[in-house]
Amino acid sequence: MSSRIEILNDGGFRSDGRLPSELRSLAFDLSPQAGADGSAMVSHGLTQVLVSVFGPREAKSRAQTMHNRAALNVEVSVAPFSTSDRRRRGRGDKRVQEIVAMIKSTFEPVVQTALYPRSQIDIFVHVLQQDGGVLQASINATTLALTAAGVPLLDLVCAITAGVHSTSPDSPLLDLTTLEENDCPSVTVAVMPRSGKLTLVSLETRVHVDVFKGILEVVGEAGKVLSLEMKRAVLARTKMLKDAMGAGLRTAEFAEDAGGDE
Amino acid sequence: MITFTSFPVAPDPYLARNDDAADYLPDSDYMDVDLEEESDAGSSKLTCPGESITSSHAFMRGHGTYVENEEVISSVAGLIERVNKLVTVRALRTRYNPEVGDLVVGRITEVQPRRWKVDANSRQDAVLMLSSVNLPGGVQRRKLESDELQMRNFFEEGDLLVAEVQAFFADGAMSLHTRSLKYGKLRNGQLVTVPPILVRRLKSHFYTLPCGVDLILGLNGYIWVSKHVKENEQEGEEGFDAEAVYSNKNDEIDEATRTAISRVTNIIRVLATHSIPLTDTLLLEAYEWAIEADVDLKDLLQEDIGDALIAAVTNR
Amino acid sequence: MRPPSPSIPEKEFLVASLAQNLRIDGRSLLEMRPTRVLAHVDAKMVRPPPERPYEGIITVHSEISPMASSLYEPGRPSEEEVALSRMLDKVLRRSDTVDKEALCVLAGQRVWHLRLTIHCLADAGNLQDCACIAGIAALKHFRRPEVEVVGDEIIVHPPTSRAPVPLAMHHTPLNLTFAFFPDASTTSSSSSNAPVDTTSLDGPVPSSTSPAPQMLLDPSPLEATLASSTLALALNSQRELCVVHKAGGMPLSPADVLRAVNVATDRVRELVSRIDRDISTDWNSRGVEVQ
Repeated sequence: MSSRIEILNDGGFRSDGRLPSELRSLAFDLSPQAGADGSAMVSHGLTQVLVSVFGPREAKSRAQTMHNRAALNVEVSVAPFSTSDRRRRGRGDKRVQEIVAMIKSTFEPVVQTALYPRSQIDIFVHVLQQDGGVLQASINATTLALTAAGVPLLDLVCAITAGVHSTSPDSPLLDLTTLEENDCPSVTVAVMPRSGKLTLVSLETRVHVDVFKGILEVVGEAGKVLSLEMKRAVLARTKMLKDAMGAGLRTAEFAEDAGGDE
Repeated sequence: MITFTSFPVAPDPYLARNDDAADYLPDSDYMDVDLEEESDAGSSKLTCPGESITSSHAFMRGHGTYVENEEVISSVAGLIERVNKLVTVRALRTRYNPEVGDLVVGRITEVQPRRWKVDANSRQDAVLMLSSVNLPGGVQRRKLESDELQMRNFFEEGDLLVAEVQAFFADGAMSLHTRSLKYGKLRNGQLVTVPPILVRRLKSHFYTLPCGVDLILGLNGYIWVSKHVKENEQEGEEGFDAEAVYSNKNDEIDEATRTAISRVTNIIRVLATHSIPLTDTLLLEAYEWAIEADVDLKDLLQEDIGDALIAAVTNR
Repeated sequence: MRPPSPSIPEKEFLVASLAQNLRIDGRSLLEMRPTRVLAHVDAKMVRPPPERPYEGIITVHSEISPMASSLYEPGRPSEEEVALSRMLDKVLRRSDTVDKEALCVLAGQRVWHLRLTIHCLADAGNLQDCACIAGIAALKHFRRPEVEVVGDEIIVHPPTSRAPVPLAMHHTPLNLTFAFFPDASTTSSSSSNAPVDTTSLDGPVPSSTSPAPQMLLDPSPLEATLASSTLALALNSQRELCVVHKAGGMPLSPADVLRAVNVATDRVRELVSRIDRDISTDWNSRGVEVQ
């Protein structure tokens, strides 16, 4: 099912005008969802994912409770209107189940679950719009939502998708759109920026070993760039909260002093 | 190509200043900054997961950090704090971390043999043992089988109560007690929830506002706003009346009090959305402002009025 | 049912053996071992879906029956089963192993529908790799009846009149699972998470600069449980990767992943030639006779 649109033209530009190593516009929104302990909305171009985190809280079912650590519970829902062909994906959908399994296993070693025995951390992922890179957006949003909820993480995990087009195996394309995902072999990688190690590698299409090596290198670099952006968003929010609290505190102390004089 | 809509407020000076987020972090002499300077320290006091803070040789790691490669590394986003050799990172948004002696407001989630499970916004439900509540008959006495059988007469699922953290179990779950006449079932008002960090540890967490409203600031971020009950009814060790303490019946509440309760609740919500720590003086000021400005109580939750309120109380 | 977790001495025994480059079943670190899976292919003719009139259909069914191991229960598909069927789907179907257009008999009218059914008979660990080998072998071994199209009519020649033909296969991807163990010197401190733990200040810690983790091929059930991470690679003898799946567990450096890829390329080449040899031996022993 090859499209007539050129994935990479002779000038080295992609169908949406990006260079191979350019990411789509990123947006991180950490403003709180009512009720959730932490939430984040991440957009990579037209792909948009919202994640709410609840917990650590009392485990819902006895069977899931673990005496030595917290259980991670991931649920993914894909909005029927997220793709151009309106289609309902239930929770039983294999593709959805796989995203659940991948998010869960990516975060199990990263969240310090041992600090919360017998608890449960719920991660609800809502895919609002899809244009390629759903897994990468889901992982990035989950990282930010967990951070916003104050859940201790070893590192800010960030995920990124890369692919290669047959015309230029040497310059991997980053952050693929649906169009490109359909035509190129793609790899999704989750990086721990501190150590540069990979917690998730997922490739589903045929690609030569040598090309794969090239992709891994580029993706590692891109992950670091992305993680800086995420860090910036987290710090900006933290600073905002701190300043608000500081302003409130100063007034309160002043008022208390004044009250003492009267 | 990169845009940010990070928080719904004005552009952040931090973003403008730090073109490269990589190098904002402290260099080695950062830790020499004294704790006293903390209140006016800059953004360098902030950290986020995966950021290295200091060497693990010179410092001990506390909450919110872990050690790897002989470095103390932050695991949460928040403020770095240091007490002597202990380095901790305090997250600005997190669930309630209980400490013994804390006053909390909670809701019964489950009745189990000889104990209640209480949701207190913590990482696990708290436990209220039957032996930690005041039993009918006043004076301290042993609990009987009949008490076990009528546990639902004391607290049922869904009941709200105020209690004190008594101890911890081995797995970190907290045990509560209500063995004081100040504690027990909550009536005559409504609950409002705020992030726990906004409630600071104070001498007393029971307030009476002059508008005839009682406030119970639970350290877990659950706040009970209710009609004022006269002091003398609460006191007297011998005056323990099980019927009254465990009753599910609200008192008569007049319209003015109901309005006052709602107004206080809305003010707390506004302060919480602006992340302002709650104190009695601040609440009182906000309440006076709301009366002076003659704001309808439901309009308080509108964004512009909320902002005006915050501006009024923080810039005084 | 959650499988019973291994005891601490059991774990200690395995990890200590690994530190001396020994595996508990006597294999070397990168050696493989067979498990039992039955794979079966059948074909029928169907009308193709309108959106893909020129392509045949392949469906892969997999089933882990309780006979494979006492850990599996009948009824709802377990997590392993979902993972297995997803893996088989990706390796055998989505990577274009079989030329689907060659399965077309009459465009838009009739195509072959291949059903590959995989039954797991005994789970001695590493079911996924075994199921994948079985699936590939079954597809390679399968012969479909020859058909002839005359005008709009389709004649299916029974095997007695004309020799059945093998499937057109693009490549033969095989799945290999690697288990990673952190280097023995760092296993003792699995990141103690007590809020304040002064003992961990000078204890050894898993670190980014620690030596490369130990890598095992074809983990046994115990090894798979105890491994700190696993990596599944599917690739063919032309050194093309089809599936890379590593989710969770200990983070690996890109170099570790590439090390596994290199080992896997050699191993796959050996396996493919072995499968080809066995199939041709079998086929020669059958003595096809053209009448």
